[in-house]
Order: sequence, then structure tokens, then C-alpha cells
Amino acid sequence: MKTRTIARGLSAASIAAIALTAAGCGSGSSDSSDSSSDGGTTEVNVSLENKDGKDTCSIDKTEANGGPVKFNVENKSASGITEVELLQDQRILGEKENLAPGLAPVSFTVTLSGGDYQVYCPGAETEMQDFKVTGDAAKPTGDTQELLQQGADQYADFVKDQVGQMNDAVKKLQEAVDKGDVEAAKKAYADARPFYEKVESDVDSFLLPGGSPDDNATNLDYLIDMRQSNIDKKVGWHGFHAIERDLWQGKKIDDGTKKYAKELTDNVGKLNEQVQDLKFKPEDLANGAAGLLEEVQSEKITGEEEAYSHLDLVDFAANVEGAQDAFASLKPGLEKIDPDLTKKISGQFDKVRKDLNAYRDADALGGYKAWTPELRKKDANKLSQSVQGLQDPLSTLAEKVAKA
Amino acid sequence: MKPDSGPKGIGRRGLLVGGFGGLAAGGLVSGLSVDAAHREREASAGSKIAQSHYEFYDQPHPVGVSTIPQQYSVFMAFDLTLATAQDLQVLLARWSAAIDQLMQGNSIGQVEPEHEQSVATDTGEALGLGPNNLTVTVGFGPGMFDGRFGLAAKRPKKLAKLPKFSSDRLDPAVCDGDISLQACADDPQVAYHAIRDLARMARGSATTKWTVMGFGKASAQGGQETPRNLLGYKDGTRNVSTDPDHEKFVWVGDDDVAWMRGGTYQISRKIQMFIEIWDADRVSDQNEVFGRFKVSGAPLSGHAEFDTPDFHAKGADGDPVIPVNSHVALSAPENNGGVKILRRPYNYTDGINSDGQLDAGLHFLAYVNDPQHFITLQDRLGASDMLNEYIAHRGSAIFAVPPNPARGSFIGRELFG
Repeated sequence: MKTRTIARGLSAASIAAIALTAAGCGSGSSDSSDSSSDGGTTEVNVSLENKDGKDTCSIDKTEANGGPVKFNVENKSASGITEVELLQDQRILGEKENLAPGLAPVSFTVTLSGGDYQVYCPGAETEMQDFKVTGDAAKPTGDTQELLQQGADQYADFVKDQVGQMNDAVKKLQEAVDKGDVEAAKKAYADARPFYEKVESDVDSFLLPGGSPDDNATNLDYLIDMRQSNIDKKVGWHGFHAIERDLWQGKKIDDGTKKYAKELTDNVGKLNEQVQDLKFKPEDLANGAAGLLEEVQSEKITGEEEAYSHLDLVDFAANVEGAQDAFASLKPGLEKIDPDLTKKISGQFDKVRKDLNAYRDADALGGYKAWTPELRKKDANKLSQSVQGLQDPLSTLAEKVAKA
Repeated sequence: MKPDSGPKGIGRRGLLVGGFGGLAAGGLVSGLSVDAAHREREASAGSKIAQSHYEFYDQPHPVGVSTIPQQYSVFMAFDLTLATAQDLQVLLARWSAAIDQLMQGNSIGQVEPEHEQSVATDTGEALGLGPNNLTVTVGFGPGMFDGRFGLAAKRPKKLAKLPKFSSDRLDPAVCDGDISLQACADDPQVAYHAIRDLARMARGSATTKWTVMGFGKASAQGGQETPRNLLGYKDGTRNVSTDPDHEKFVWVGDDDVAWMRGGTYQISRKIQMFIEIWDADRVSDQNEVFGRFKVSGAPLSGHAEFDTPDFHAKGADGDPVIPVNSHVALSAPENNGGVKILRRPYNYTDGINSDGQLDAGLHFLAYVNDPQHFITLQDRLGASDMLNEYIAHRGSAIFAVPPNPARGSFIGRELFG
């Protein structure tokens, strides 16, 4: 699928090197409403203004007592400032985005313990301002970093489960191919595809033992999922799409098809062994989800992925589902840092899923209408723009969780 | 704004000589604010370029209308997919703030953020190019007032889809739109960057519908020499140019909804030209089609470009010297109850069409305070213009263009109570 495998954020090496730092300092929780009921909330007004041609960010307090602190943010006239963040040790504890002159003021509340913080206004004449909190605050429940890492750990189990299911599914595909049953093989092919497409961007950088990223003969993604358009002549064609061509274009199974099916089972088995050690950082999930949507745009909407079977919408749905699974794993932690973004991404996922639902067809192989050149011509624009609406906010997620 | 008022900063002559606007000799001038002190990492690439720029806030009229035409234009129309009036406010507010930054020659955020997991806020291709007299004009189509956002009662009185005219050969794929942006600049990449980054900002809120890239201005203001359209003729010799004519024909007065006062209506027509057929026509016939001489631009009844056409002058054969169904005769104010429109078109090309012909023409843009003025003219032109043999109107759209916001506000804020 990808000719460029090692550039992914999820290379085996980076996965192995993960070290989780349990957050000890200044953890905060964010809430867009003022939830404090004990009257102990400190209010801080953040005002963004253009003064003498410069965009400025001013705060009316630089200190607060430990406890809930509510930041009221108003962009009065600073066209170059679109966000305000509260940071500690370069980690975001709370923020507001989409700020622009003329919009109603917005606020976020964080519970802060004693320590040094910064109010960060990217684009302002003075971007970083110190904010000091004295005393202690009750430890909030559920630390953001812990929540995100819990999500990442759960997601690793999900990926292993999907690869495990794919391992079973390709065996069924091989059985049908060995019997020479084209129709059964087509069905088994359609059943097996979504498992890979759901987690593809998380597992596309694995190599055979002793292999090298510049040798496709040792690249499991190449061996499992290469399309005809990207074939390396030295290595030849292997995997899913070679079988797809035989079943749909040739409409027959020969010894070559059987060889492809056997290889596929072997290679997926090797992948299944390798993923058992998978570990993720939260930003890996975010990058993986973004990678899956990139796959949707570059391979599925164009109809290049399933050039013979036209099962592209089946893969499309699986890519989106996989991205949504990754996002869902991050959601409990993300809601604490940026509830607005969480809501926005959730809403865009819902929209894409709804748009895709229009193509469901229980009678069709894989459960979705065939993505024929005719249908693509008519609807590719619509689906592509729907995905773009999701891609953009999702692309900001990795930074967000990495800084949490 | 006076139609002949130049941009802030260096003089108009400096711009015209430069073409690409690059490095004029004027040096830094007060009011020139490409200072990017707050973007230190990127300042060295983006600052200190001595170019003039236009102001976005606190203007009496929308920018990009009576503004001296810049060399290039990128126009993009969108359909709104956002759900609520509040989402629409956020889009208009973000666009307004970003347009202000872009018009000053700033990027709209970091091009190369420090955090390794960050995506860039600004896409970067205009970094270091300077403002290049960029203006961005925002238009509201009829669809914005269809009730989805509770704005039906705020609809500009004269904003309605244009009727189908005789000779129209419209392609729905390049027609209409709920909202539009036009970037004009003296560098094509500056104009494209503005539209690209604003479109990026709209993802999830609006879908792109059609776009036209204008590679050359085809109208003049403020003493510019009249440029030529792709048929080789001067375009816009008798354009609206004086302040009184702007008040009378272009700027919306107090007879429309209050928030449109000082704004205008934008008429967009993508007009394809049958280049190969035109090129094979003898020049004497081409002159008759236009009613003007090709090189001088003079009316067939006169000798110099700005001679007033004499539609009563008769030739030796007793026929009018300027044919009654020539382009100039059919569109002249004298023959249309005095009606004038402000034209601000751009030449475009879409490459080669599927029939192997050059695919090019005029992105006709006109500004009126009453769309009926354009309708009156196009009714006649569509029915009898000799030029119709060589052109086809493919795209049609209308947008209400509100005046620019005050500092601290955003375009269209008055719509939201």
C-alpha cells in the first residue's frame, strides 16, 4: 500500500522505545462550564487586542490560589491570535481555539495546584506570560496523561485483536481458493479485507526478521497489501490484490492464485506474531487515525485500492472505523484538555459515517455498494469533502495529546 | 472609497512597473505592517518587503470592488454544510481575522511549528512574497438566506438567482454557491495561497463548489491603461470610474437591508470564448462585432479610445457605422436608459478541452447596487449580440457583498442580532 513505510509515527523501533511518564505535577481538568460551587473559583480575564498595530494578549491577574481557575477569553480586535492555552512544563492544561474578533467571549476552567504556569497566546506580541498558583488544591480525579495512556493500551489490544481476526480470515480465504471456488473466495476476500484496513496505519511498518525498509521482499505491508500500480519488479506481486485480480479479472483460480493465498496466510501469521509486542503512545493513535484517513483520500476515493473488485467503500468504512476506534480510545483524556475539539471531531466522525451509510447494501459483497467508475464520478467529490471535514481537526490531535 | 485612490504605501507607478510587485525601490513606508515580530521563527522570511497593502478593517466599502484591479484573481465558491448560525459566525469571524492578516502580508499562523506533532497553521507557499496588494472579497449567495441559518428575514432585497438568459449554456458545476471568496493580488501565488488557506479553514463547514483562476486583469481604474480581453480587444473603456457613478450604480444605499449599506451585489459569469473560431475571423468583422477598432479601441464612429461612440453616425451605405447589434451598442448606457455597471473581469484559462480546443475566456465580474441593471443589459446582449457566435456563458452566480467590518468585528456580524 505505502511505498514509504518507515516514515510512519508507529515504526517498530519507536514503539519499542515508549516510556510512559506518570504525571506528577500540576494536573488539571478542563470544563467549559463553571462547575465550582464553593465560591472558591478565581476568574482571570484574558483580553486579546490590537494596539498600535500589534496583537496583544493581556491577563488581569498573574496569580491565583490553588483550586478552580476560570479563564474568560475575549478577542476584542486581535486578528492574528486564534487560540489561548494554559501550559505547565509545555503541557496543555486547558485552552480555547477558534478565537476571532467579534465572537462572544468564551471560558475554560481548570483546577490548579500550587506551581508555575504560563498563559500562551500564539501570535501575540508577548506570547508567553507567567501565571503563579499558590498553595495546594484537592487532587482532581483521573489524571489526563493516565487516561490517555490507558486508552493507548486498550487500543493496542484492539489492534492485536484485529490482526488476530485477520489471521483467521485469510485462512478461510486460502481454503476457498484451494477448493477452486471463485464465489466463496470472493466472499472470503471481502470478509478479510476490513481487518487490515482498520489498523493498517498501525501495522504497515513491520519487516520480516533481518529485513530492511528498502527491500520490499522483507516488507510485510508490501507482501500483504501491495497494489498493481506500485509493484516492485524485482519482488513481483504478492498478497491480497494479486488474489483480487485473479478472482475478479481472471474469474478463475489457478496454481498461481493458490500460491498467493498460501503466502498471504504465512505473511499474516508472521505479522500476527510481531504485533504481540505492540505498545502505543497516545500520539501514535492520533497519527494512526490521521494516517487511515489519508488512506481513504489517496486510495479509496480514487478507486485505486480495489481496482478489480470495486470493494473500495468496504475498505473506506473500515479505515474510518479504525480511525474512530483510535479516537474513541483517546476521548476520555482528550475531553479533559479540549472538550470543543472532542465534540468537533466526534461530530465529523458522525457525519462521515452517516454519509457512508447511504451506500450500505446488504446484498452487496462486504455490505457496501460497488465503487464503480460511474458511481465514483458522481459521488467522489461529496465523500472526499466529507472526509476533509474530519481530516482537518483530526490532524491537530497528535500535538494535543502529546502535550497533554 | 474613491475609485482612483491607490493602495497604502508606495505609489501606484511603482506597482505597475513591477508587475510581480517584488522589490520596489520605495523602502519601508509608514502604514506598511508586514512586521512579524511575534512570529520570530518565520520573520526573516516574511518581513521587510517593501510593498503596498490595502487595509481590511474600517473601510466604507468592500475591498476588491473599486480597488484598482490587481493583476491576478482566484475566485472560489462554496456550499455551506455547517449546521447552525453559530457555526456560520465562527467561520465568518475566522475568515475575517485571517483576511486581515493575509492582506498585511502575514501568514495566518505558524508555517513550521516547534512541536514535532504539530501540523502547520499556514501552508507556507506565500512566505516571503509580501502582501502584493492582496484584497479578499467575501460574497453571500442566495443559499445563505434560505432558512437553514435563520437568516431568511435578513436577505438582501435584491439577492435572487439570476434568470436564464437567451444564449445561456450554463454548466451547473460552475454555477451558484452559498458563499464566495475572491482574492486579487499582483502575485498569483499570493492570491492562490489566500484562497487555499481560507478554504482549508472552511473544511467541515463548507464544501468547495467551483473556482476560476484569473491570470490577467481585464479592466482598469485610476488611470491604468485599459487592458485587453482574450479576443484582443480593450475591455472596460467606458467603465464606471467616478465617485458619483459609484454612488449611483455600485454602492447599496438606504433602500435595501441596513447591513448591506455601502456594500454591493456581485455578478459572476464565466464566459467561454471560442478562441479558434474567433482567430479565423477577419479583423473587419471582429471590429463590427465589438463596434470598436482592435488596436486603438476607438469606437467605429471615432478615432481615439475615449471618443464617445456615435450610435447615429451612418456610413455610405446608410447603415449605422456602429452596428446596432454590436457589443458596444447593445451595452452602452445611451441605449439602456442610462444604466451602468462596474466591470472588474479577469481573463482565465482552463487548459485544453475534451474537443482539443483552447479552453479559455473571461471571468466576467460586475458590481451593481441593483442586479436588475445587469439583467437589463444581459437580456439584450443574450438575445442579439453578434459576439454570441464566439462566446458561451457557462457559469452564473450572484453574491451580496457586505461592506468590510470595523476593527473588532467580522464580515456579516450584523446578520446575527
